[in-house]
Amino acid sequence: MAVTSSDTHFLDIPDVVLTIIFSLVADTRTRNAMSLVCLKWHLLERSTRKSLTLRGNVRDLFLLPTCFRAVTDLDLSLLSPWGHPLLDSFPNPLLLAQFLRHAFPSVVSLTVYVRNPSTLHLLAPQWPDLRHIKLIRWHQRLPTLPLGIEFVALFEHCRMLSSLDVSHFHCWTEDLPPAIQAYPMLAASLSQLNILKHSSVEGFKSHELLAITASCPNLRELLATCIFDHRFVGFVSDETLLALASNCPSLSLLHLVDATSLSNVRPDLNDDGYTSEDASISRSILCDVFAGLPLLEVLVLDVCHNVRDAWPALELLNSKCPRLKSLKLGQFHGICSGVDSRPDGIALCHGLESLSIKNSADLTDNSLEAISLGCPKLSKFEVLGCKKISAKGIRKLTHVLRNTLVDVKISSCKNLNVVSLLQTMEPIRDRIERLHIDCVWKNADNSVKQTASSNGETRLKKKNKSRDNSFCSRTWSKLQHLSLWIAVGDCSGERRPCTGSLGLRYLARYPSLSRMLLDCSGVIGYGLTAPPGYPDLSLWERFFLYGIENLNLNELNYWPAQDMDVNQRSLFLPAAALLAQCGSLRKLFIHGTANEHFMMFLLRIPTLRDVQLREDYYPAPENDMCTEMRAESCRRFEDALKSINRHIPD
Amino acid sequence: MGIVEEAHNLKVLGSGDRLIVLAHGFGTDQSVWKHLVPHLVDDFRVVLYDNMGAGTTNPDYFDFNRYATLEGYAFDLLAILEELGVDSCIFVGHSVSAMVGVIASISRPDLFSKIVMISASPRYLNDVDYYGGFEQEDLDQLFEAMGSNYKAWCSGFAPLAVGGDMESVAVQEFSRTLFNMRPDIALSVAQTIFQSDMRQILNLVSVPCHIIQSVKDLAVPVVVSEYLHQNLGSESIVEVMTSDGHLPQLSSPDIVIPVLLKHIRYDISTA
Repeated sequence: MAVTSSDTHFLDIPDVVLTIIFSLVADTRTRNAMSLVCLKWHLLERSTRKSLTLRGNVRDLFLLPTCFRAVTDLDLSLLSPWGHPLLDSFPNPLLLAQFLRHAFPSVVSLTVYVRNPSTLHLLAPQWPDLRHIKLIRWHQRLPTLPLGIEFVALFEHCRMLSSLDVSHFHCWTEDLPPAIQAYPMLAASLSQLNILKHSSVEGFKSHELLAITASCPNLRELLATCIFDHRFVGFVSDETLLALASNCPSLSLLHLVDATSLSNVRPDLNDDGYTSEDASISRSILCDVFAGLPLLEVLVLDVCHNVRDAWPALELLNSKCPRLKSLKLGQFHGICSGVDSRPDGIALCHGLESLSIKNSADLTDNSLEAISLGCPKLSKFEVLGCKKISAKGIRKLTHVLRNTLVDVKISSCKNLNVVSLLQTMEPIRDRIERLHIDCVWKNADNSVKQTASSNGETRLKKKNKSRDNSFCSRTWSKLQHLSLWIAVGDCSGERRPCTGSLGLRYLARYPSLSRMLLDCSGVIGYGLTAPPGYPDLSLWERFFLYGIENLNLNELNYWPAQDMDVNQRSLFLPAAALLAQCGSLRKLFIHGTANEHFMMFLLRIPTLRDVQLREDYYPAPENDMCTEMRAESCRRFEDALKSINRHIPD
Repeated sequence: MGIVEEAHNLKVLGSGDRLIVLAHGFGTDQSVWKHLVPHLVDDFRVVLYDNMGAGTTNPDYFDFNRYATLEGYAFDLLAILEELGVDSCIFVGHSVSAMVGVIASISRPDLFSKIVMISASPRYLNDVDYYGGFEQEDLDQLFEAMGSNYKAWCSGFAPLAVGGDMESVAVQEFSRTLFNMRPDIALSVAQTIFQSDMRQILNLVSVPCHIIQSVKDLAVPVVVSEYLHQNLGSESIVEVMTSDGHLPQLSSPDIVIPVLLKHIRYDISTA
């Protein structure tokens, strides 16, 4: 070992500087390793750890570590059993709430699963200085609760709140406005509000949106689901948009998303790409709205109903919203004609760094060219459901933007297939970091086997440092995140998948593939009761997961296929058996349920540290009658997972 | 929580004068009654439990000797009734659990005011002059699959055979749920079920029985319910529903729930 010529050692660095160095380290495992070096490092690490996610069974809460007193951002939503009311099982819940406060006195940002109001009644008073809170609930809101009672419990005690996120919190849209209006001072200091509800399919009605925004004039960020379909009560009209802009002129981030957009179903458009109804939004009003929001940096208008001839309003965006960096438009047509390759419409927004175009029926290759010329700073580009573009247009775009593009997503564009798409990525192959494509094989000759039938889809996402690519000899050296959508055929009437498999074992050629998200929730079938001629879910499981043991996965998030009749997303025998073969798995999160016998299979994996069943879909199964994993089973499994008999190599 | 309560995930819901015990069939668990329970809790006290060996129970509690015959499960049922201090109940049993209820009622007829059987059969294997619905060859494939799962599981490989692989649709229908258990337990339970023959004891039953089944249940031909009706020692009544499948309370609740409620509420007329 060479002796360094200097005498200084890492520990000679003054504490103040060391503290700053430590506080820059974000990765949890690294921090854990650092804290084991020596006592000084341990203390330094603990005093600079700002963010903590508590895992473990809630009945062990008395074992809570008290060394993390510097934590400002605390996540309590992943305690086991997942989704259970937090402190209800204790005879003295207040004591435990106070203990949480004692262990984490500096918390200003909290994420918590609120199964019922008692959680907020107990926790909100513990941290009166709370600035940011994210509430999570995938279970249904109890219908007997008075309107807004949970928000009132929160606002009453946390008067300094400036940021509220209920995007994953199931409540009624009528719950929020009365609570906001009852606490005008808090509302006036609210700067971030996320009511873009993923946890149900309701959108806020126009009057609710206006009531909320009228009370919160200092909002800088607003994300909301709403209703753009004029046939429904409370739809977003021109008046709504104008009033919204005048209520909150300081908005720098605005997402208005139609509630139907979040249902995760591929859009049902007519052959030309237009929806049957138009939105009630006129382009002149759009111009006025943009003029009223000069500080806008991020804008998402996912309307799901036609907004036609939008180019005049979009051209104005450039001058009225000079700070605009990120734009997403859903169902906007006429956004850029690209005639004579001159930039027009959206292509005039030359400050854009991120652009996402969804379901634009008349977007052509010329439009893409114009956009690429007009928006030279684009680093992220997404196009979904645009039927008129072809590989030629994409290729032009990637060529022109080859020095800036790092994140590309192309989905549901019927003229594109995988082979031609990958060829269009040629100019950015060695700089692209994130890529999503649909694996559509028609019109391409290929060597991968055809998969057989069901009416469903799977979405395979993975993090990957890709070394080699079968289509080209050059490498994708910077690719970190690859997302694929794979259709599993569309002939109905076929009962079983063919005896092959999805081909997961082909991914074994990427040895550094360590994290995977496997989302099979688009496949609908029958679990226990399969009528003859209908897809049997256990056969599908075997088809999806076959070969998964060949990958060196560290972390897997798995969404099982659904039996919608009984609202069940569960592991059956093949899934439990195949997952148990993944010898290197450390973390496994199943977004569904599983029974105790099958969970115990997983104990075979020697490196497994962290497993949880998270029913984070709406509606989460309500009680023991619907879930296979009872609280006692969960306890037995977690005890077995932690038991000292298991030697974990690292 | 007593050991019986904890081991069987015992639940008592609702309120009322009379008590109903809901017993699920093998391979499922008490959640199979989820559509029925809301209709009962207002008028009855409802007892739900998981059979030992169900995927939701602790596999360490499965005693292979005790459960080698259906009597073992009948003892469990009687233990539950004793734990709860029940003096009389209406027993609703699905599939094999209906027979378990019948066995329990022979030793303790005082505890049961009536038995409602859904998709029940005293014997599955065909015999001389008896049509149970299954031939030995059909069952051979099932035992082969279960055997290979068991071997794989013991050796650390992945047990991958499932009900959907079976050639015979009757075996598929019946056994699909059996693969929801740990492979050693599943094999033992399957052997117990297909070796059981309750025909001889039917005449010892003294509790009124309501026999309910789907018109198209591949695992329980309609003639079986007629056989039960003819051979049960007590009075009985048969109703064949227009549903199909072996788990009609899950697959066709709109048809099944009204029928079940009717048979729970009303007794067989002796006129």
